[in-house]
Amino acid sequence: MKKMLTLEVNGDVHELAVELDATLLRVLRDQIGLNGPKKGCDSGGCGCCTVHVDGKAVYSCVCYAHSFDGVKVTTAEGLSSGEELHPIQAAFVDAGAVQCGYCTCGMMMAAKQLLDECPRPDEEQIRHGISGNLCRCTGYAKIVDAVKLASERS
Amino acid sequence: MSQLNVVGQSLERPDAYDKVTGGKGYPVNVKLPGMLHAKMLRSPYAHARIVSIDASRAERLPGVKAVLLPKDVPQIKFCPVFFVPVQAPSMVLDFDVMNGERVRYVGQPVAAVAAITADIAEAAIDLIDVEYEELPAVFTPEEAMAEGAPQLHDEAPNNIAKTPFFEYGDLEKGFAEADFIFEGTYETQRVHTCYLEPRVCVVDMDRQDNVTIHVTTQHLFGTREKLAFALGIPETKVKVVKSPYIGGGFGGKLELTAMEPVAALLSKKCGRPVRLEQTRQEDFITTTRNPIKVYLKTGVKKDGTFTARYAKSILDCGAHATHGSEVIMVHGAFGLFFNYHAPHQKWEGYTVYTNNMIGGGYRGYGAPQGSFAVESQIDEICTKLNLDPIAMRLQNARKQGEPHPFNPAFTLATYGLADCLREGAAKIGWEKARRRDKGSSGAKKRGIGLAVHPVWVSGCMGFPDIYEHSGAIVKINRDGTADLATASMDIGSGQIATLTQIAAEALGLPAGAVRMSSAGDTDNLPFDAPTHASRVTYSSGNAVKEAALSAKKRLLEVAGSMLEVSPADLEVSDGKVSVRGTPSKTLSVAEIAQRAESPFVQMTAQGPQPTVMEEKGTIIGLSSLAPKSNPTPCAAQFVEVEVDTETGEVAVLHAVYAHDIGRAINPKAAEGQVEGGFQQGMGYALMEHIQFDPETGSCLTTDFLDYKMPTAVEMPRKIDSIFIETDEPTGPFGAKSLGECCVITPAPAIANAIHDAIGVRFTQLPITPEKILRGLGKI
Ligand code: FES
Ligand code: FES
Repeated sequence: MKKMLTLEVNGDVHELAVELDATLLRVLRDQIGLNGPKKGCDSGGCGCCTVHVDGKAVYSCVCYAHSFDGVKVTTAEGLSSGEELHPIQAAFVDAGAVQCGYCTCGMMMAAKQLLDECPRPDEEQIRHGISGNLCRCTGYAKIVDAVKLASERS
Repeated sequence: MSQLNVVGQSLERPDAYDKVTGGKGYPVNVKLPGMLHAKMLRSPYAHARIVSIDASRAERLPGVKAVLLPKDVPQIKFCPVFFVPVQAPSMVLDFDVMNGERVRYVGQPVAAVAAITADIAEAAIDLIDVEYEELPAVFTPEEAMAEGAPQLHDEAPNNIAKTPFFEYGDLEKGFAEADFIFEGTYETQRVHTCYLEPRVCVVDMDRQDNVTIHVTTQHLFGTREKLAFALGIPETKVKVVKSPYIGGGFGGKLELTAMEPVAALLSKKCGRPVRLEQTRQEDFITTTRNPIKVYLKTGVKKDGTFTARYAKSILDCGAHATHGSEVIMVHGAFGLFFNYHAPHQKWEGYTVYTNNMIGGGYRGYGAPQGSFAVESQIDEICTKLNLDPIAMRLQNARKQGEPHPFNPAFTLATYGLADCLREGAAKIGWEKARRRDKGSSGAKKRGIGLAVHPVWVSGCMGFPDIYEHSGAIVKINRDGTADLATASMDIGSGQIATLTQIAAEALGLPAGAVRMSSAGDTDNLPFDAPTHASRVTYSSGNAVKEAALSAKKRLLEVAGSMLEVSPADLEVSDGKVSVRGTPSKTLSVAEIAQRAESPFVQMTAQGPQPTVMEEKGTIIGLSSLAPKSNPTPCAAQFVEVEVDTETGEVAVLHAVYAHDIGRAINPKAAEGQVEGGFQQGMGYALMEHIQFDPETGSCLTTDFLDYKMPTAVEMPRKIDSIFIETDEPTGPFGAKSLGECCVITPAPAIANAIHDAIGVRFTQLPITPEKILRGLGKI
């Protein structure tokens, strides 16, 4: 069964008929057509699906979309405005933190939450801040470098 | 080596921009008009006969478009491993897509449904009634080989799928000559590659059997061949579309599974494209690294020289052999037999069927299991005989210039193991750390450990039965840039960067001037072997270089005609062609390509340019070639650990990895491989483990909450990569390979460091806190 739902995603307002048990991840990917939030496990274990809901990072795969009626959602696509990359995106590119890239969008959203709350994190804070997000390619070394770089540049 | 301009630079990865802005290029994003969604029904039993299947309730569910049962699937046996032919004699031909008579593991597909939504497909598979007659099951190789055990495949008595062996010298004589004999059994567990993009495919198969497939694969042409064979159609009916990248592979996407043919057959039934995405739980039971138990016996002289080595390895391949019949060979050869000299050696391998899930490919492909045994035992030998672990290894190691142990037609033209050990030891402070106090008063003890991987591959060149050639197309554009097209997949390991850098260097173009084509398929690309076996930089790299040189030859012919000089007198650098010794006589690559490409008389400020027919035509180079050799990389891994003797936790504080890779094409990308490799190796050493219910054989590890892999918090704060550049003469600009040694070495290095810290030797992975406390006698 479907019910109407309003979401503001990356600045655009969407009014959608959404299944009662659909997750936020599914709405963002399958109904709105975004690629940034990714499904790695669909069970709250990897962080690939991390997006911001009213400025806070959540695993969108474990959230029922209808619990979020009227909220503002930001995904990796919404980080940059126009042609300029957001400093976190630019830092991920420059630090070589992107390999297969499947974790990257979720990882950047986790990093954004960390830097929003703590603009000058030390290494331990960075490592704990991204520890809810798995990466299987990088060993996290260059992801940690990227978060440091983004912090230094802002 | 003349001056390199593009190779050796840590250039930005060309794919990074797309990946940070959302990431369009993954198979998981593919949506086709009219697309349906499929789900598979899987067996709840480890071993059972299928008595009957009734799908009538599922067929009546609104939204269901087709049901696929075993009777609809060609019952063909084959080998699903991509890089060997479907019926390669070296492999065991026991795999089928959907067996209609018998299930041999929990999770074997028995039926599938396509529906207008994934939810409806999911609901429909629950409505399929399957009657099973349960059969006795067996879950360990020892039980499976025992007298009277249930027999899983008729053609494999005692459930032994394969028993390779190697031997030379006189083993008894070798052991008689030894001053000391060391024996041990070393066990490794079942782990998963844990690529983060799930296995997914979108397949469109029409009623004339034309198939187009988008899929998470490490090999386009393997997918084409195996899928066509499974469907019983000519392989040219199948077009596999290259997606710009996939979300990780690590060897876990190197075979056809049921997913692709099932989606294809459902698509044909419905006349619409079908998407099948596996859940993480399904991925955990699709392919894994095979557990191997290794018994290892080594004879040594007092000074540490090996006199004889004997090993017996038992591999649990699960219900079907698939990779298990190849992994056992690579394990025996590169994990145990080739790594060091010993005058008398023997190895026996057993690939054994059980009712566990099937194994698969995973970075290292049998070597991590062997290396854990060998490098742990060497540490035991050095401790007991008070030998220097670096000198002892070098004493038994191979030397530069020797014949390659695997194929005497090749030599070890470059072999930098001594440099790896020297530089790695210096970086971690080996000598000082070996002598220091372990921290006898506190609960936390520090230790340092070492492991090497002395002999590995740069591809499968020289293996019988294995596809290994590569091809590339390089086309120079009118703006002076070039396009590169290959069937080589970038699975996250950076081929888009490294191959375009190799092409730019060979062409004489500046950094960034070569673009990897993002479109292509098996219809229009030359064959390339998979992204596996540490092969792409070396093997595909050589093909890319060759194609670029062929395009450059044509470029110089046109330039020679334009400048009225012999092409032999021309050189290209930074996008400009000039006459050697006369730098004023210069043309840009763009000017030359415009002349060649333009179908018209060109008007310039100087007036109309003369048209010379011989100058016309796209400047393009093609290649398709097998590599000339199979050079060995080699590597040394050093780690420092801290063991908490109260909690049993092990923290890896520092990892240093020194690797002879011939040449680092893009050093930052190379570091990324090492750092990620260390994470996988460390997870193997300390925490990762796929667990089964010993009663039912069902997999208890269903998601990342059950399967623990290292996060940023557990990883060492410092990973130092050292690249030893030995300039391999057969490699593209001197490069060998990189991808796998860095996964092989961490587990034994960590086990050796733990021994150094607390004096306890662990011979079973993973070394969990519980095992540590047990080893210390605390529980
Ligand atoms: S997809 Fe949401 S946490 Fe893995
Ligand atoms: S870059 Fe591949 S999972 Fe992180």
